[in-house]
Amino acid sequence: MLKRFTEALSKVGGQAAEVATVGEAAAYIAGHVNGTVLLPSQPSLERIALAAELEAAGVKVVRESWREHAAAANAGVTGVNFALADTGTLVLESTAEALRLATTLPEVHFALLDPGKLLADSLAAIPYLRGFHERAPRNYLAYITGPSRTADIERVLTIGAHGPRQLHVLLMPGLSTDFYEL
Amino acid sequence: MSRARNRNYRQRVDQALASPRLQQALHSFGDAYVVARENAFAGLDFEAMRQEIGAMKDRVREQRQELVAEFTRNAEAAGAKVFVARTAEEANRYITDLAVAQGVKKVAKSKSMASEETHLNRALETAGIETLETDLGEWIIQLAGQRPSHMVMPAIHMFRDEVAALFSKVTGKAESDDIQHLVRVAREQLRQGYFEAGMGISGANMAIAETGGIALVTNEGNARLVTTLPKVHVALVGLEKLVPTLEDATKVMRILPRNATGQLLTSYVTWIRGAVPCADGDKELHIVLLDNGRSALAESPQCRDALRCIKCGACANVCPVYQTVGGHVFGHIYISAIGVILTAFFHGLENAADLVQACIGCRACVAVCPSDIDLEGIILHLREVLGEEEGIGVGKALVFKHIMRNRKLFHSMIRAASLLQKPVTRGERSIRHLPLFFSSLTEWRTLPAIAEKPLRDSWKTLPQKVENPRYRVAFFAGCLNDFVYPEMGYDLVKVLNHLGVEVLFPKEQNCCGVPALYSGDRETAVALAEQNITAMLADQPDFVVTTCPTCTMSLQRDFLELLKDNPVWADKARQLAAITIDVSRFIVDVLDGRAVFAEESVREKVTYHDSCHLKRGAGVWKQPRELLAGSGHAVVEMAHSDRCCGFGGSYSFSSHPDIAKHILNDKVLDIEATGATCVAMDCPGCIMQIRGGLEKQEKSVRAKHTIELLAESLE
Repeated sequence: MLKRFTEALSKVGGQAAEVATVGEAAAYIAGHVNGTVLLPSQPSLERIALAAELEAAGVKVVRESWREHAAAANAGVTGVNFALADTGTLVLESTAEALRLATTLPEVHFALLDPGKLLADSLAAIPYLRGFHERAPRNYLAYITGPSRTADIERVLTIGAHGPRQLHVLLMPGLSTDFYEL
Repeated sequence: MSRARNRNYRQRVDQALASPRLQQALHSFGDAYVVARENAFAGLDFEAMRQEIGAMKDRVREQRQELVAEFTRNAEAAGAKVFVARTAEEANRYITDLAVAQGVKKVAKSKSMASEETHLNRALETAGIETLETDLGEWIIQLAGQRPSHMVMPAIHMFRDEVAALFSKVTGKAESDDIQHLVRVAREQLRQGYFEAGMGISGANMAIAETGGIALVTNEGNARLVTTLPKVHVALVGLEKLVPTLEDATKVMRILPRNATGQLLTSYVTWIRGAVPCADGDKELHIVLLDNGRSALAESPQCRDALRCIKCGACANVCPVYQTVGGHVFGHIYISAIGVILTAFFHGLENAADLVQACIGCRACVAVCPSDIDLEGIILHLREVLGEEEGIGVGKALVFKHIMRNRKLFHSMIRAASLLQKPVTRGERSIRHLPLFFSSLTEWRTLPAIAEKPLRDSWKTLPQKVENPRYRVAFFAGCLNDFVYPEMGYDLVKVLNHLGVEVLFPKEQNCCGVPALYSGDRETAVALAEQNITAMLADQPDFVVTTCPTCTMSLQRDFLELLKDNPVWADKARQLAAITIDVSRFIVDVLDGRAVFAEESVREKVTYHDSCHLKRGAGVWKQPRELLAGSGHAVVEMAHSDRCCGFGGSYSFSSHPDIAKHILNDKVLDIEATGATCVAMDCPGCIMQIRGGLEKQEKSVRAKHTIELLAESLE
């Protein structure tokens, strides 16, 4: 299933990388970022103290005053609730506004995914989709499949439209097993 | 029919036809689409998926009041406000009043066909509010002051140099026409707009009753910004977007991108329920559910299936008329086949009148519709309604009502025409030039002469050599086979006799009624259906065999529909439909007759043209190929073998000969590219069109009916 996921992700222009430790994750991000990073508060990323690792790797991390910094930030870093193998889709419970700012405005989106949190397809995701709706009264849920794209000029596919121009999925075993946790 | 309206329409047709760049772009888009779509559905059962969508959408139509109530209850429980707008004006007023009350100076919009439908931007701008389209294609056409020419790709009719010129005006410097660069420019130029806008306006692809939430299926990422940054979010949603559950919404999500753009899934699917956090507080979310003719559509038994539409735009992608003239001609706000129907209900029959005639009836759209809508059937119905409202023209009315219905008169007039044409045929079978007013008719194709002796008159002298026949079949010849191509009938008798089948020719058979029906004269079509049923069942044949798939569809499908509520005729119509079969299928499926024609050496390189009504109507395409290959022909496939040839009956004579000519040229190019010396088909209408084009362009390719090639192989 993981192979299916990474193949589908690559077909839509996303990149997958395997990281074993938080240090490797921070190093990967540091190697691919070119400016400030938005890091909204998320349980799985806090558990591994990603912010400290990123700062140690020399990355400037924004953890508050999102609206002020979002437009100028180069990248956003998030966890992933779970992913869909057949389409290479990331599911992010993005009701907190910071999560949306981090995944819409910057040029680059880094997403840390536990490869154990994979479902076959969107049909298998329906119970969780319903679960999100049952657990909170208001929701903003995002299915993200690759970087933003357009074919609006002469039908030529162009990767990177108004949203992120790059999507990096860092596959990190042991990050989280909870499909409702980001 | 309004003359001024029609004149304006004709001008737009001429303009579009004079733009080869547009046609080329739409053709290559159509080609790429077919491949991408096929890949996207690999391993999935499209037929089952679309039937499921169709059935679900029908439930939504039936239970729409309950679902609106459920949706509203759940959305409002989550802090949204729901307003049901009966008309476009009501929707626009609600949104404009809201913007004024909130002191909004600028709105940022993501793509919404519903807002195009209501002309929302005009209403907002009249109230002094600036509107900013943030979808790339929508922004381009906003800058150009145009309207979308495709539901999914609004600026598909524009080219990079035109976009560069528009963007240069915005930035005040010369922008290169590199597409990557232009996308960058749009990203940077629109950025600030999301922050400045006091209101974000989106559409929705689904409104889910179970949750009271909406879902947006998008690629560029602007919809996520529009629904996140401004303080107020208004979603303008057509009532037909309602779905009962998250399962239903997921099913729409699975089929929509695959069928729209050949993507497995778009970059983003965004599920929004209620007033989500925004800056330091909560977002204000208003959902405007738009009726504007949808309830009227739901009440029309003949047209209501159009409400199943999920707005994928596929009906345009595969449409030969759309590929020839684009969406600014073949569309009003909504374009292509579904656009014809929605325009009639949302923007009035007046605005749909020319579009209703512009459909060539090839059913390419029906084959790819993800909601299983019989688009062509509904358009035909609208043609009838229009015929009743506006009349079908004095000339046609006279011919249909007073001549065609009277078989003897009709047929004696065709015989007379056969004599009158002599000065122009010069004794040949094809008319290459016509004098005076008629000269345009033979400008781009030759026309066949009416035969000196129709098939019906020579039938008695046709020898039939069958002892102990396996079957007795009645031949329904149709007008072309009877009066123009009687030789096809001789060949049919020869081939079927050889296979042990006796062929009868019921003399009382008349025109199948399609020309009347497709022109909107239902009454004549009914009269002809009754005449033909009586004639064809009289001798109690085992089968009724046809050489024309349009006649086949008429006998198999239209007669049933025309007479379904008539207790005297409904059962007879069913009897006739059950035994009607086209000749290729009859030989392969009933007679298992392939072996009879077996031939070791290669006779000829033949390519096959799939006639619209044979492939997409009767579902026959394998059988003629098997017969041709089995009888020693080297069958080579042409590109777009099942694309319409542009005949369309009166479409290529009176209604849209200019468009028909272009579609025929495409076909001639595809035939030529195969290097075949013969193109086979199973339709005398296609033969008239394709042979006419090949002859006029002096190509050395024969156009033959499959039955003619089979007869040749027996010689």
